[in-house]
Order: sequence, then structure tokens, then C-alpha cells
Amino acid sequence: MVLKRQPEAGDILQGTLDLLILRTLVMGPAHGHTIAQVIERTSENALEIEEGSLYPALHRLEDRGWLVSEWGLSENNRRAKFYQLTAKGRKELDAASSRWRRMTRAIGLILGDIPGEAKEEA
Amino acid sequence: MSFERFRNRNRKDADLAEELESHLAHSQDMREARGVSPDEAYRQARVKLGNARTVRENVWRYRSIGWIEDVLRDMRFAVRSLGKTPGFTLIALAVIAVGIGVNTAVFSVINTVLLKPLHYPDPQSLVQVQNVGPHGRDGGANVPKLNIWRRQTGVFQDVAAYDFGGAGMNLTGGNQPQQVQAVHVTANYFAVFGAPVALGRTFTQQEDSPHGGDVVVLSYGLWKSHFGGNPQTVGRTIQLDNRPYLVVGVLGQQFVTEKSFGAEQQADLWTPFQFDMNSQDMAHYFTAIARLKPGVTVAQAEAQMKLAADEYRRTYGANSIGPQSSFGVENLQEWMIGSNRKPLLILMTAVGFVLLIGCANVMNLLLARASARKRELATRAALGAGRAQIIRQLLVESVMLSLTGGILGLILGYLGVRALLALSPGDLPRLGENGAAVTLDLHVLAFTFIVSVLTGILCGLIPAIGSARSNLLTAINEGSQRSGLSFRRGKLRSSLVIGEMALALILVIGATLLIRTFSKVAGVDPGFETHNVVSMAMSVSGDRFQKTSGIAQVVRDGTDRLKNLPGVIDAGNGNGLPMVGGFGMTFDIVGRPKGKDPFTGGAGYLSVGGDYFQTLKVPLIRGRYFNEHDDGAAPGVVIINEAFAKQYWPHGDPLKDRMQIGVGAGPVFAEPARQVIGIIGDTHQFSLDQPAPPIMYTPLAQLPDAETALNSRVAPLLWIVRTQSDPHAMVNSITSALRDASGGLPVAHIRTMEEVEGLNMARQRFNMTLLIIFGAAGLLMAAIGVYGVMAYSVQQRTQELGVRMALGAQAANLRNMVIGQGMILALAGVILGVGGAFWLTRFLAGFLFGVKTWDPTTFIATPLLLAIVALLATWIPARRATRVDPMTALRLE
Repeated sequence: MVLKRQPEAGDILQGTLDLLILRTLVMGPAHGHTIAQVIERTSENALEIEEGSLYPALHRLEDRGWLVSEWGLSENNRRAKFYQLTAKGRKELDAASSRWRRMTRAIGLILGDIPGEAKEEA
Repeated sequence: MSFERFRNRNRKDADLAEELESHLAHSQDMREARGVSPDEAYRQARVKLGNARTVRENVWRYRSIGWIEDVLRDMRFAVRSLGKTPGFTLIALAVIAVGIGVNTAVFSVINTVLLKPLHYPDPQSLVQVQNVGPHGRDGGANVPKLNIWRRQTGVFQDVAAYDFGGAGMNLTGGNQPQQVQAVHVTANYFAVFGAPVALGRTFTQQEDSPHGGDVVVLSYGLWKSHFGGNPQTVGRTIQLDNRPYLVVGVLGQQFVTEKSFGAEQQADLWTPFQFDMNSQDMAHYFTAIARLKPGVTVAQAEAQMKLAADEYRRTYGANSIGPQSSFGVENLQEWMIGSNRKPLLILMTAVGFVLLIGCANVMNLLLARASARKRELATRAALGAGRAQIIRQLLVESVMLSLTGGILGLILGYLGVRALLALSPGDLPRLGENGAAVTLDLHVLAFTFIVSVLTGILCGLIPAIGSARSNLLTAINEGSQRSGLSFRRGKLRSSLVIGEMALALILVIGATLLIRTFSKVAGVDPGFETHNVVSMAMSVSGDRFQKTSGIAQVVRDGTDRLKNLPGVIDAGNGNGLPMVGGFGMTFDIVGRPKGKDPFTGGAGYLSVGGDYFQTLKVPLIRGRYFNEHDDGAAPGVVIINEAFAKQYWPHGDPLKDRMQIGVGAGPVFAEPARQVIGIIGDTHQFSLDQPAPPIMYTPLAQLPDAETALNSRVAPLLWIVRTQSDPHAMVNSITSALRDASGGLPVAHIRTMEEVEGLNMARQRFNMTLLIIFGAAGLLMAAIGVYGVMAYSVQQRTQELGVRMALGAQAANLRNMVIGQGMILALAGVILGVGGAFWLTRFLAGFLFGVKTWDPTTFIATPLLLAIVALLATWIPARRATRVDPMTALRLE
């Protein structure tokens, strides 16, 4: 009897996190810690990366052939695993970011200005 | 979807571990650089990442196929858990292995006989052409019928004829002549069957016409064994019955002529019929198969054949076939399987019962085991295992048991099927030489696998669900000693025992009915004395046996030589023997009005020579036996048996009448009327369980030449010799005497009449033996089941029994109480089983002789047997109940 598996934690965000990782690596190879820092800093700390789910995502992307990895020396002179975008990953990034833009635009159109909505930064 | 995800899991995990270490180091570096103290930086880095182990576990799980992982873990656990209770495991394995083994054995025979398609190309379009009459269907054919059938081109591609090679031929020219199975065929036979040709060719139409020359096609087997596989054999001549035959071809090895086509063995060679297609000979001496046109169904062909029968009747007269008779077709495979389907399906049902009884036992064992493990399971549940997980784990355990049992069963089945075939009477069709066609093919493997898995689920599901339902808290709090037979589970176990008792009783009743049948059949007087009589077959297909004088001479010389051998009491011969069968023929009683009927009647018809009746010790009732003066020059005579006399002369005296034999059977059988000169005792011509038929006997020396020629073609001359002591010791002198008398002809199929009788009863013996084995197995398992339940219940009730004893109950009371409870189960099983047997034995009706399906003796004796077995099985636990020491029992609290 095959029991249905619980949805994995972070499944909802998975697509988004993948997109952010791919985007970050456009700037060049980086190891996990750098990737997390770059995403947090670039988003002006609005997005806090759950580091625990960063590594599963990296491994998943590598299995799909969007990234390749290699052990090397980091800026701190420590061993670290550097990830680099592949051509396939680059193509996926383009496709995913345009999907993302279409979707946010669509959601934005629907939301518009909601009457009577309290301003967020009160 | 890439499989990268599932590969090198261990290496990737180590890599990830190092990567996470590196991440923490970097995170810590960054925080220290911001001025956080090293200790605090260490802490913060770890808080930010979360549990590194969880991350690794998540990735590990992502890299696995969840349920496989789970099942593998459950399997490892099951192996450990089963290993801890080797006694239980071994018993359960043995029960399952036996159950699955017998099922595998019987199924592999069914697979070969019933399920595998025939070995010919497009076997579904091959049909047996038949006569359909009020008494059933038969495959007899003659040339006029063949002509009409071949004209049905709307439904048939082609119709071919062949015979069974009954007479055989003698392969001469070597040192020792060898009798071979020679089958006559029409030229298109090979094309209709789609027979592969290994060398040369098959017959041309020319060769299959009258005076087409003596040509022969060899089987691959004969070509290999007798001609050393020499390719030069084709184009040479070989000697058959001392005549040169040109070998035109050799068939491929794959081509098999099935035994059930009536032959005792595979065809060794084929010769062309060379029919005169204008023949008006109405006797049946061959059979026909047809290949349907593409898209034509059997039903369509059957409808067309009804029209063909009308045409036949118009052409050859109203009496050419009976008024309610017609022609028809039947799928060749169905026809070959014939009456073998039902006994095989009955056997399959019987072994199915054995497996069900086994399942009930294993289920009982699992229930007991689940009770004993209640605490373990409750602890697992407390530690977070869900109901589904517990059920899954228990199911994996039982399925692993049944699969292991299945593998053992497969081995048992493989050995068992050989035993089965050794027991079988050898008349099952399609089994090949010594059952070579029965193999463990994919169908059998799939069958065994599916049965094993189903067995595991059937045995395991209810105990598993029951266990998972149990209440956590009470289970943990209870001592394992007391956690036993809850009311519901006790009822379940009891119903299982009742069920297996009932099934076992049905099996035993079936076996008993067959035992009674066998003893009744064995008690039937065959009408002749079998002891110290040996029979053998001589092929008389050569030229000099086409005339009666030639046969008469061999019959006379052979009988004389045999009778002169020391130790021989009597000798005779005939074209048929009791228990072997023979021919049938129409007749008139001269001067008796027959109304609208074309003839007075039909009866068994044998032609005999020498001292046939004296050799078999068939008693003379009135008149006289044949003697050497009843030859071709003397007036025609006929002897009838008692059954004949009773049926046709209920009041008159047969010895005053004359008979005309072969009325309406065509010119071959044209002869003057014969005087009835004797009445002899009845013999069972076909088998002991059929009534002795009316038979008329004529002297071989008095047959018309044309009839002798037909006989020589379709049947061997059978010799019988009565000796003073064991005839086996005299076989050599007998065969050499016959060779001298016949100018060098060999004999084959040398069997004593006791062996012939044994072969005749082999079918009953086979059915009986198997049902005895299965019945005994079922009974034993049911007894184990009763014992198990009662022993378990006594063990669970130690305390209660102790209290009763302490309060003054006598040992006998306790013993009787336990026995009474066991016997109530047995009684319920008996009632259920007798009811089931009343309904089921009707399917055995066709296999019974001299006993009714509701035979009172059987229906009283077998329940008693079952009750005794149940009593024995409850006796031991009952004794144990009386030995309970009240103090120990109470201290258990």
C-alpha cells in the first residue's frame, strides 16, 4: 500500500527560492553562505532565507542539471562548495523570471487598490 | 525525470555534511567580523541554520522513493521479528509451502493441458470436424463426408484427413524389424497444421492419389534415432512391411502429433491415404480437421455444417445419417481437452481448499502472535507509529512469510508435479513424453507469485487490522500474560477453526466417495480371468494381410506355435480386447420385422481367432465356441454375449436365428447372413464402471476380404496367451514364436491383462490417490488448527482454571469443559462441512461408480472420523488444563 506523502516543507516557496538562487548565481559562482547573504542583502533584508531549506534546494537544482558544483577555497580561506549556473540553468532562469513577472503582474492587476485597506507601514 | 536524484546517496550525504560545516564556519566568521563574541557567534550561526541533521535527513528523504524505503525497513524489521520466533516461523512457512506447493503442481498441469495454446500456427482457427448426434459428438469420417466438407469453402480454407496409425507399420530392412507409429494423411494435412518441413518436402497431390506410389515423410525423432540424422535419407527408399518406400521429406522437430489424437504415441512417419475420392465406403476409419477462413467463427462454421448435413442426407439417402444427426465443428484444443477439463478443475478446487485451510491456520497463528505482541505494538504506537504504519508493518511480515513460503512451495510444486505425473494414468492430453511439456513457465511463476501475495494479505490483513485497533493505554498497562483472547478475537479464531474443519470435511468426504468408487470398481467382475494372461499387438499392415486368407493363416499358425510352447495353456487373437475397446456395427436379425428403422440395431463387434474365449476364460452359456473348422469355406457363424441375447431375444432363442451384420455400412461389409451358434458371458469391453455392452463376435477367418483389408489398416492384430506361471517370464519365447509364424513381424505393447485392467482403472486410482492426499493434508491441518486454538485458550485461561481449581473443581470437570468447548467447534465444522459437501459432491457425480453422491456410509463415517481427530487434538490441551497448579496460576496476577 502506497501511502500518500506529506507535502514537503517549503514546497510552496520552493519555486521562488529556486528562482532567487539562479538569479544570484548569474553574477558568478558562489557558495551557499554567500548565496544566502546576497539574497538577504539584495532584498534589503525583506526576505530572510531559511538556511535549512537552502541546501536541499541547491542539491535539487544540481540534480536537474541547472547548477554544477565544485569544492574550492573561499574568501575566508576555508573550504567551500561553489555553485555555478549552467547554460541549462540560465535558460530556466529566463523562463522562470518571465513566468514570475507575468504572475505578479496578474496578481497586482487583480489586487489593485483595495478600498478601505489599512496602510501597511502604520 | 532524472535518476541523478537517487544515485550515490551516501557520497552526496557526506558531501552535504561537509558543506553544512563549511556554511556554519562562514556564518560564524561573518558574525565574529561584526564584533560578536566567538561563543555567541557559534550559537547564532547554529540557530540561523537550524538542525543540520534535519537538513541532511530532508535531503536524504528527497533522494529516496518513500514507500520503498519504508517497506525495506519494514522487511528488515520483519526478518528480525520472525527470527525471534523460529517455531512460529517454521510452522507457518511449512503450512504455506505445502499449500502453495500443491497449488503450483496442479496449476502447472492445468496450464499445460488447458491453457497453453496448441503448438500449431494460428491454433484458434483449427477445428475438429464432427458428427453431431443425440448421443454426443464424434470425429469419425469417410470419403463421402470428406467430399461434402471440402465443398464448404465459405467457412473452411481447407479440410485434411488423418488416422491414428492404430495398426502401425513394421520398419524392416534392418536386423530387427521395428514397429513404428505410421499415420495416414491427406496431402494437405501438413499445410493445414502448418507443419514445418526440415528436409525435402511433403506429399504432392499426385502421390496422394490411388496408385500414387509408396512415399513416406519421416518425423524428426525417427530420422534422428533410426537414420542418424543423415540428410541423405531423403531421396532414398526405406523398407516398410517389406516394401520399398521413397522418403520425400523430414518434418521439423517442433511438430508434435498430440497423444490425445487417439494414438498411444507420437507419430513416427506419415504415408498418404491415396483415397479414391469416388469411394462410397460409409464406414468411419479416419478423422478430419479443418482450418477456418480468417474471420469465420466456430458458430458460423457450425451453422454451415448443418446445411452440409442436409446436403449429405439428400445425396446419400435418408439413412446415411440419423434423423437427429448433423455435422459440426469444435475448436481443436477444446476437442483435445475434452472430458479432462472437469477432473482437473475439481483437483484445482481441492488444492484450493488445502491452501484455504492452511491460510486459516496461519491466520490463527498470526492472531495468537499479535496478542502476544500487543505491548510491543502499543509501544510502537506510543512512539508515534500511525495505524497505517502498524498495519503495513504487520502485512509486510505476513507477506514476507507467504513469499518465502511461496518460493519453498515453488520447489515443492516442481517436485510435486513430477510425482503427480508419475501417478497420472498417462491419458491426460498434451503432456508430452513423460510430461516433458509440463514446465515452470512464466504463467506458473506468475500464478505462484500472485497466490503467495494473496495468501500473505489474506492471512495477515485481519490480524493486522485487529492489532492496530487495540487501545493503547489498556494494552500497555496490561501484563502481556493477560492480554490474550479478547471476546471478538476469540470468536474470530473459533470461526476460523470451524471453517477449516468444514473444508477438511468436504475434502475427506470427496476422498471417501472416490475410495468407495474404487473399491466398487475393483469389485466388478470383468467377465474374464485376467491372471496369467499376456496381450500384445502385431501390426498387420503389409500386402499379404489385405486378404482374409493371409490373416487366417497367421492366426492359425501363430496359435498353433504358441500352444505348443511349454507353459502355454491357451492362445488366441482378435481385433479388440476387453477393457481396451473395439468396434461397433449395425445388424439385422433375419426375418424379424424392423418397422421404419434401417436395421434391427447396433452392437459391439469383434472378430477373433484361435481360442480367444478359452484363453480369457469367458464362460460359454449355451451353444458352442468357435473352432478351427469355422473358416472361410464353412458357413458363416456368429457368437453373441448374454447382454446381446437379453436385449434382442427377451423371450425367443437366439440359436435358432441368423444375423446379417453390417447393414447399410457399405460394400466393404457386404456378406451373407450368419447363424448364431453360441452365447457367452458378458465382458466389460470399455471399462469396469460402464455396463457390459451387447457384443457380437465373428471368426477372423470368415471376414470378407475388403473388411480384412480395412481392419489391417486401422487396427493391429492383438494376441493373447494364457500361461501356467507368470507370463513375463515367457515373453521372449512368445514373441519369437510369433515372429516365426508371421514371417518376422515384431509385436509391441506387451502387457498382461492385469496391467491392462490396471491401466483401465488408473484414472479412478489417480483421482482417488490425489483426493486422499489432499484430504489427509486438510484433515491434519484442521487438527493442528483445533489443537492450536484450544491450547492457546487453555494457556490464556491458566488463571481462571487455577481459580476454579482452588474453588474445588475436579480435574475431570476441567478436562471435560475444555474438550466440550473444542468439540463444539468440531461439531459446528461438521454441520457446515456436511452441508457444503451435500452441495459440492454433485460435481463428483460423473466420477462415482456404485455410490451415490450422498452415500450414507460416507456421510456418517467421515464426520465421525473428523470428530475423533478433533477429540484427539483437544485431548492434549485438556490434559494440560487439569495440570494447572492453582498457586502458580494465582501468583501470576
